[in-house]
Amino acid sequence: MGENSNSVLVIGGGIAGIQASLDLAERGIKVELVEKKPCIGGRMAQLDKTFPTNDCSICILAPKLAECYRHPNITLHTLAEVKEITGKAGNFKAKLLQHPRYIKAEECINCGICIEKCPMRVDDEFDVFLRKRRAIYIYFLQGVPSVMAIDPEKCLYLTKDACRICEKVCEKEAIDFEQKDSEVNLNVKSIIVATGYEPFDPSPLVNLGYKHLPNVVTGLEFERMICASGPLKGHLIRSSDRKEPKKLAFINCVGSRDMKYNPYCSSVCCMYTTKEAMVAYEHDNSIQSFIFYIDLRAGGKGFREYIERGQKDYGIKYIKGKVAKIIEDDDKNPIIIYEDMNTSKVKKFPVDLVILATSMIPNKDTPELANILGIDLDKNNFFLSNAYLPLDSSKKGIYICGCCRGPMDIPNSVIDASGAAAKAAENAIREG
Amino acid sequence: MEDIRIGVFICHCGTNIGGFLDVPSLVDYTKTLPNVTFATDNLYTCSEVGLSLIKEKIEEYDLNRIVVASCTPRTHEPLFRSTCQEAGLNPYLFEMVNIRDQCSWVHMKETEAATEKAKILIEMGVAKALLLQPLEKFKIDINPTALIIGGGIAGMTAALNLANQEFKVILIEKEPELGGLLRYLYKLYPTHDDASKVLEVRNLVENHQKIKVITSTEPVKIEGFIGNYKVSVKRRDGIYDIETGIIIVATGAQVLKPEGLFGYNGSTIITQLELEQLLKENKINVKNIVMIQCVGARNEERRYCSNICCMTALKNAILIKELNPDANINIIFRDIQTQGTTYEEYYRKAREKGITFIRYIPEKLPIVKESNIEVYNDYLNQDISIPYDMIVLSTPLIANPDSVDLAKMLKVPLEENHFFLEAHVKLRPVDFATDGIYVCGSAHWPADIPEAISQAYAAASRASTIISKDVLEVEGAIAEVDEDLCVGCGICIKICPYNAISMDDNGIAHVTEASCKGCGLCGATCPEKAITNHHFTTKQILAQILASGGK
Amino acid sequence: MSFEPNILGFLCNWCSYAGADLAGVSRVQYPPNIRVIRVMCSGRVDPVFVIEALATGLDGVIVMGCHLGDCHYIDGNYEEKMKLDLLSKALQLIGLSGRFRLEWVSASEGVRFGQVVSEFTKQIKNEGPSPFSGSKPNQKLKEDLEAIKRTLSDNRLRTLVGRERAITEFGNVYEETIEFEEYEKKIDDALNSEFLRNKILIKLEKEPLSVKDLSKSLSIESSLILEHIVSLKARNLIDFNRIDGITPYYHALKVAL
Repeated sequence: MGENSNSVLVIGGGIAGIQASLDLAERGIKVELVEKKPCIGGRMAQLDKTFPTNDCSICILAPKLAECYRHPNITLHTLAEVKEITGKAGNFKAKLLQHPRYIKAEECINCGICIEKCPMRVDDEFDVFLRKRRAIYIYFLQGVPSVMAIDPEKCLYLTKDACRICEKVCEKEAIDFEQKDSEVNLNVKSIIVATGYEPFDPSPLVNLGYKHLPNVVTGLEFERMICASGPLKGHLIRSSDRKEPKKLAFINCVGSRDMKYNPYCSSVCCMYTTKEAMVAYEHDNSIQSFIFYIDLRAGGKGFREYIERGQKDYGIKYIKGKVAKIIEDDDKNPIIIYEDMNTSKVKKFPVDLVILATSMIPNKDTPELANILGIDLDKNNFFLSNAYLPLDSSKKGIYICGCCRGPMDIPNSVIDASGAAAKAAENAIREG
Repeated sequence: MEDIRIGVFICHCGTNIGGFLDVPSLVDYTKTLPNVTFATDNLYTCSEVGLSLIKEKIEEYDLNRIVVASCTPRTHEPLFRSTCQEAGLNPYLFEMVNIRDQCSWVHMKETEAATEKAKILIEMGVAKALLLQPLEKFKIDINPTALIIGGGIAGMTAALNLANQEFKVILIEKEPELGGLLRYLYKLYPTHDDASKVLEVRNLVENHQKIKVITSTEPVKIEGFIGNYKVSVKRRDGIYDIETGIIIVATGAQVLKPEGLFGYNGSTIITQLELEQLLKENKINVKNIVMIQCVGARNEERRYCSNICCMTALKNAILIKELNPDANINIIFRDIQTQGTTYEEYYRKAREKGITFIRYIPEKLPIVKESNIEVYNDYLNQDISIPYDMIVLSTPLIANPDSVDLAKMLKVPLEENHFFLEAHVKLRPVDFATDGIYVCGSAHWPADIPEAISQAYAAASRASTIISKDVLEVEGAIAEVDEDLCVGCGICIKICPYNAISMDDNGIAHVTEASCKGCGLCGATCPEKAITNHHFTTKQILAQILASGGK
Repeated sequence: MSFEPNILGFLCNWCSYAGADLAGVSRVQYPPNIRVIRVMCSGRVDPVFVIEALATGLDGVIVMGCHLGDCHYIDGNYEEKMKLDLLSKALQLIGLSGRFRLEWVSASEGVRFGQVVSEFTKQIKNEGPSPFSGSKPNQKLKEDLEAIKRTLSDNRLRTLVGRERAITEFGNVYEETIEFEEYEKKIDDALNSEFLRNKILIKLEKEPLSVKDLSKSLSIESSLILEHIVSLKARNLIDFNRIDGITPYYHALKVAL
């Protein structure tokens, strides 16, 4: 594999991008892995446990992150975005915009003194705004590269020419405010898009009360709340009164299977609400969970048994019902008003905490990226693929995998990613 | 007896260690330990300066064991091992002691006790270093060939991809022709493309220069290990051996024939697959059709959901409606499995076409009578009677009966429904724990065409990471059986999660270096203590235990 | 001067060691009494290691691995659980079970790691200093511990626990499984008899003794002692020494190494 540009551009450093990169790198093909955030890891790093085995997400992700970082065939471009693609299969030219980290990566030893001293408190995106971080931060504790980054929009020096405390306390002199945006030019044979998804923001569904009822949270927020390394250190309490909730309600299909917002099915919610209910029970076995569903979709390997285990060993009750509205009582306890599809009666159901299983939606910048790449989107704004060439985009030499082409779970994202790697390798060899 | 000369480098890590532990006293203490030829502290051992110092001192003091006391080996061991290697020292002669993440950072208010602890940890590290042995990474030659068992859509897709990547591919198929279940399908969802059109990929496979197709052939014996498998196959004219680097299992699944369920008779009460055949031959001229979902699935016998039957039923229902808009089609279901973007839309299309959906519950199964079917619907809380001319039973895909034998031959596991069990549901969904063998398609779990294709590409990718290498380097810290002590009880063979141990012709256990992952289970279990786990030997661990005694 | 225990921890590389590192990164504080030996999998920990650790005078030993189902090596921790359950039973026989613990700690449980270590340190403080440390180690207990060590090092129990998962879950060559409880009972019986046998052997290594002497010194019925004497003789581990009147004396045979 000695050709001077036998390389593949992988856009997105979540589990799909990582898996594709590792397969290609092991295959002897050079990979340029581009990630928008300061660390790779993506959504999987935000999860606590993953179905259907309930194993710890970061525990199984971390070795892959480390491998990606160390692999001689993989070049990581974090805090970078793709700005322009020209050329064709076998000979693409990519222009990346590399944002400055303001840290000398080779010097930073991740000791954390700078974080302690930074005076700016910023909403932590990784913890879904449930906690504050500083203007100098590491995206998440086990993040790779395990090096700090400075948020240029919140840093007092970069916005107001003040402070510079981090520079003073860093013993390795790793702070470098002189860094600027730069351009990176790459020449690649194939491109793999693995940009993942965003969770749907249920604020427009005013009847469900998100944002104005404090005890209605989203699935991802709940995930961070029960995570051992999350803002509550795994001890589940409500934000309104710091009490431990004992009765949880999970509402499936929020913003999905919904003609007004997203008509498609988000594939994973039936499973992940079951998982979150199980994890909550493991933390506190006096917790009772109720999952409100329309169809219970559990066709994957071991998924049906998982649901049955949830019912049998974790006391989860599944209620087939469409939730019309959520209100609250004087103690801010949510009350669910729903139509019971078994009896066609409307019922009121008081609980302590409601978790909305929000659907996966395409990232906001998907249309822009589609434009840059010159590939089509489907009617839901996911990257368009073909039934019998599921990993091919509409342009030769560009492949798509994972949630950026449609909602899917981790096993399918990993399969997709390896598949895209095979196609990218095939393309690189044929067009090479 | 080799003269062991240990060099110890104790890191301040800026103030991370130095600000809490009395590092100079650690250096002094270390110098008193046996076989420590050289000891020093430095500010940042992992910096260029620190690494150069290590290399310098190895040369200057003729050091043959190195200990670094600093942060965690989980991040820094590879770096220091490389450094030792650059200085001409075997990388396995390096040991790391964690006095930061597991000492200075966690005992910040008890600095004296923490310093004493660090002394003991360093002593433990030195005690182990004394007993470290050089190890080599094993090099295995890889045969750049892929053997694919099964010529359905999954097998063919994987074959084409690997062949296009210039690998040699051998595709064996049990039946006289390629195609698998695809041959019996009419149109495919959600596009309604003809199955025969997708089947045309057969021509590409049969004519590809790099693919050798052998039909009417089954495997009978499989031996070897990653990069070097030998598979004996049976054809009409005898038994032949195939040598291959990796194996992909793509043997598919079967459609359950629901004998004894819902009055199945193969003529008026049929399976979806039989319906496809009728549609293909244009023999559908009935008006009232009832389809029952989950027949023989999601029950005591088979707890799983076969995932593809809902879409199959929808597809066939839509096709019939398109042929005959007056047809009455009722689908009796439990949960409609139409995940994702296109499938949910397809479900909507079916409803818009006037196909009726009636939910049933497993506690009260539908009852098939002479010319009507009675369904208890819990929403209306009453029985509904539906007249029928034909009943179509949606049955699950079930594992092939020969999966059991094939699994035994390959020494890979099956899950409870006899589908093949992968190494890890999330991280390695198409790999087996046994290296060099992969699985894709319905052999893994009921899959539709797009899923089978994705999985096939995934298996091809995983396989290519091995066969693209001339030589595979395998971790050196593995297990080794002492043949003089082994009594051939075979416990280690059963216990190894990777099937890396086998019985040789003399009844002695032998570790296949290529497959050993160095977990150490065998050594801890062996009743005769005949197994050495290199780099984590019993002697080394006992030395560490003794050193940890402190007093 | 309050007692500061010396605790040994075996941590597996992928989960508990990573969890300990996370505790460090998060600056979770815990008592400095624990010293860690890193192994790749908790399954590497031979129960004899724990015995040796206790024998050298360490006050407590804790083994931490991945949660069941999460093992990096698939089922290493399941096997380890079998072995360490046996070890716990063995330690219970000699009253040392309070000095040993098995815990599952994942790579994301930094806080929990700190809690487990703090709790265990407290537990060991309550146990007090090891009976084998200090100027006057407990000799009788030392002999008992040696007997346990031999029991767990010998072929019989290692074979039984080595096959346990295979036979109770997957079946033997005839594809029969044995109920877990039934198998456990077999292990208990074997443990008790091998322990006694080894105690007898150790006594006979020190000096020739009669059945009556042994019965008195070990507080076990003579008839049971005799059973084991017969068995030990059949295994060529002991032999007649002399006969005093009508009382035979036995001694241990030196096994050629």
